[in-house]
Amino acid sequence: MRFIGLRLARGLLTLWFAVTVTFFLVRLLPGDPVLAVADPNMTEELRLKLLADFGLDRPLGVQYIDYLGQLLQGNLGMSFRQSIPVTTVLMDRLPWTLILTASAMVVTILLGIPLGVLAATKAKGWVDRVIQLTGVTAQSLFVPSVGIFLMYVMGVWLGWFPIGGAVDLDATGFAATLSMLHHLVLPCLSLVLIQLGGYVLTMRTTLIDALGEDYVSLAKSKGVRPGTVVWKHALRNALLPTTTIAGLQLGTLVGGAVLTETIYAYPGIGRAIYEAVGQLDFPVLQGAFVLLAAAVVVANLITDVAYGILDPRVRTS
Amino acid sequence: MRRAIAFAALAAALAACAPSVPGSSGSSGSSSSQAPASADRLTIGTTADVVNFNPLVGNSRTDSWVTNLMYPHLTQMDATGKRVPYLATEWSYSEDGKTATAKLRDDMKWSDGKPVTADDVVFSVSAVQKEKFGVVAGLITALDKAEAVSPTEVRFNLTRPDGTFLDNVGFWLPIVPKHVFEKAPSVQKFANDANWVSAGPFKLTKVERGQRYIMERVDDFGPGTPAVKEVVFRVFPDVNTEVLALRNGEIDVIGNVLPPATATDLKNDTSVKLQEIPSLGWAHLQYNTKRKPMDDVRVRQALAHAVDYEAIRNIALKGFAKSSNSSVLTPSLPQWTDPAAKEYAFDPEQSKKLLTEAGVANLSLNMIYDQADPNIARWAPMVRDSAKKAGITIKLQGLERNTYLDKTAKRDFDIYAGSWAVMDNPPANLGLAFKSGGFINYAQVSDPKLDDLIDKAQQSLTVEDAKAPIQEAARLISDQVYDNVLYVETFNVAHSAKWTGFQPMPSELLSILNPLSLASAKPAGS
Repeated sequence: MRFIGLRLARGLLTLWFAVTVTFFLVRLLPGDPVLAVADPNMTEELRLKLLADFGLDRPLGVQYIDYLGQLLQGNLGMSFRQSIPVTTVLMDRLPWTLILTASAMVVTILLGIPLGVLAATKAKGWVDRVIQLTGVTAQSLFVPSVGIFLMYVMGVWLGWFPIGGAVDLDATGFAATLSMLHHLVLPCLSLVLIQLGGYVLTMRTTLIDALGEDYVSLAKSKGVRPGTVVWKHALRNALLPTTTIAGLQLGTLVGGAVLTETIYAYPGIGRAIYEAVGQLDFPVLQGAFVLLAAAVVVANLITDVAYGILDPRVRTS
Repeated sequence: MRRAIAFAALAAALAACAPSVPGSSGSSGSSSSQAPASADRLTIGTTADVVNFNPLVGNSRTDSWVTNLMYPHLTQMDATGKRVPYLATEWSYSEDGKTATAKLRDDMKWSDGKPVTADDVVFSVSAVQKEKFGVVAGLITALDKAEAVSPTEVRFNLTRPDGTFLDNVGFWLPIVPKHVFEKAPSVQKFANDANWVSAGPFKLTKVERGQRYIMERVDDFGPGTPAVKEVVFRVFPDVNTEVLALRNGEIDVIGNVLPPATATDLKNDTSVKLQEIPSLGWAHLQYNTKRKPMDDVRVRQALAHAVDYEAIRNIALKGFAKSSNSSVLTPSLPQWTDPAAKEYAFDPEQSKKLLTEAGVANLSLNMIYDQADPNIARWAPMVRDSAKKAGITIKLQGLERNTYLDKTAKRDFDIYAGSWAVMDNPPANLGLAFKSGGFINYAQVSDPKLDDLIDKAQQSLTVEDAKAPIQEAARLISDQVYDNVLYVETFNVAHSAKWTGFQPMPSELLSILNPLSLASAKPAGS
């Protein structure tokens, strides 16, 4: 219990830190939100009035305290540009980001673990080498390059997948689900590609270690079938670090989703962030970052707790 | 005026001639490139979402395109920038210029059945005046009070004669329904993001943020029933993907202006039609007159002679640009242009001579520009290279957009390179751009003679009266190089050859997406 409490406190501290950094970071951006939309007909008087409307004429400290106070009450503020609560802006977009990141994560795990197992059991063979090389290459890929590459090859040249959007206008019922999946393939694949390497390589290394353990030799000498040794005995233990990776990778995944959504005009939070940066819509930016930071913190918390349950040694360390 | 009315009548006639579409709810889907277009749906590509549905606040391109179809303006603009009737049928000033009157058509209705009346106009302009926000606030400083004389007549009482008032209000002010907007505690903060009550040729029926905006035809739209049943704005990642979607038949119109290189590519594609739209703005260099040695007119003239204007237009803009003869009165507004205007010649020797006269040697200046602007990114190095021939060093500073805007606002530059989007009324625009202390007076011009000329033009109630002082002001700006106008871009917009009947109007704001144009668009061959 104390373990969970400690982790919870650490999570909250991380969140506060993220909120604070975000708050000051957006205000350090050059320009101000009024200039971002200033048109030739504006006057200095109107500019100052608009700044005041946004509450940006107050000292930074006052703005910060006020923001924290509102945040504690669950109020993310009003969008400068859209005149609607930030919560509404984000909730509109959240489902798409959830679908994208969750599907990317599931696909990555479903592909990553078997590939890692394959590489580990065929260690030093050519299959292993190919997997390793591909894994290292994939890990060093930059998501926009992957996204644009996939979009142009599969979306434009081959015309297999739609460009932009999340679902066709006329699709209803089952057709809508199909259309949604169709739109999801490329963004999802981009995210899977950049993440897969990490999983495969970690899985491979830890499984090779596990396969060298005494209990594996024991199982083998007992006459347990090789498949069972790998999948039932070694894999279970090798999964622990992979769980950690899943938690850690969530940050990368969320960051990747922002870029992917921008490239594919996928209507998620990432695209909203991209638009908000251009318009210097501080409340939306802050809200989106808080939401994403919270998601990562919560995921890490769950990983930590799960890890503690799986491996009692962690709880006491 | 006669021409203006004829234009509006033409638009209406075209709309009326279009075949009516049976009210079936069958959807056409995205048509393949072979199938003929159906009048069921026109899909328009855009690269951004609607940010704000309140037309009095909204300021992105997509905002204007969508809300312009929902909320009428008093006037529209014809291809030469002249105001033509929309909600207003006629408008005029009193003798002394202190009263402006607009008469309204009586056949416009809000989508909830209530008529559009003078009260709505008064409410819209008064809300902006009271709460001071949006594009219009800076344009109605002369307004004392607006009042409804009758349901179809509005009177604006002005504190001083202002001949720009009706042009400005007519063109920029969207008319919103009083009975809906007045319920909001603050009109500025009213999001207007659902249950829209509108009065344009189309009404917004469905929004899928990040994806698309669906609008339905209004059958009893005053100026004529639109031919097309449904207009859909679809969000794309960028112009390139829009082009692909247009070629695939997924969309029918690209809303955004095409980059010159893309327009050149599309010229030979028979499935696509390009429409040329004049820009109401211009691309320019401004020299910070408060910084030495640019406070010396000879230095500014030397800089003006060190630009190869023809090369910029022909190479960077691929010929999709017109010379403005170094004048801020551009060919897009022919009723204002000065035939005597002459462009600065690209003459490095003359530059050197002027610099020697001014006693300036080894001139080295920085030039800021928005690196994301594809046109400027192409010509900025050309400006640097041509200046080099005159012995002038220009250091390029391509900046991220908001940084660029910040530096501009703080006047923190030697040379500013940029472009103005919509300068639709010279007396009003020159006031903001060149009068002492003007918000967009980036060059920090402070010239009492110029201020007087602009004031005089603004007080004139007709173009004829305003023309002499404004042309003199423009000559002064050119002679003094308060602004170095490089070119006026010819915008290219593309639509599928399966559609016809669009009514192009100047500027990216109106383009072929203005309400009268979309109301008269119809499938080709029908």
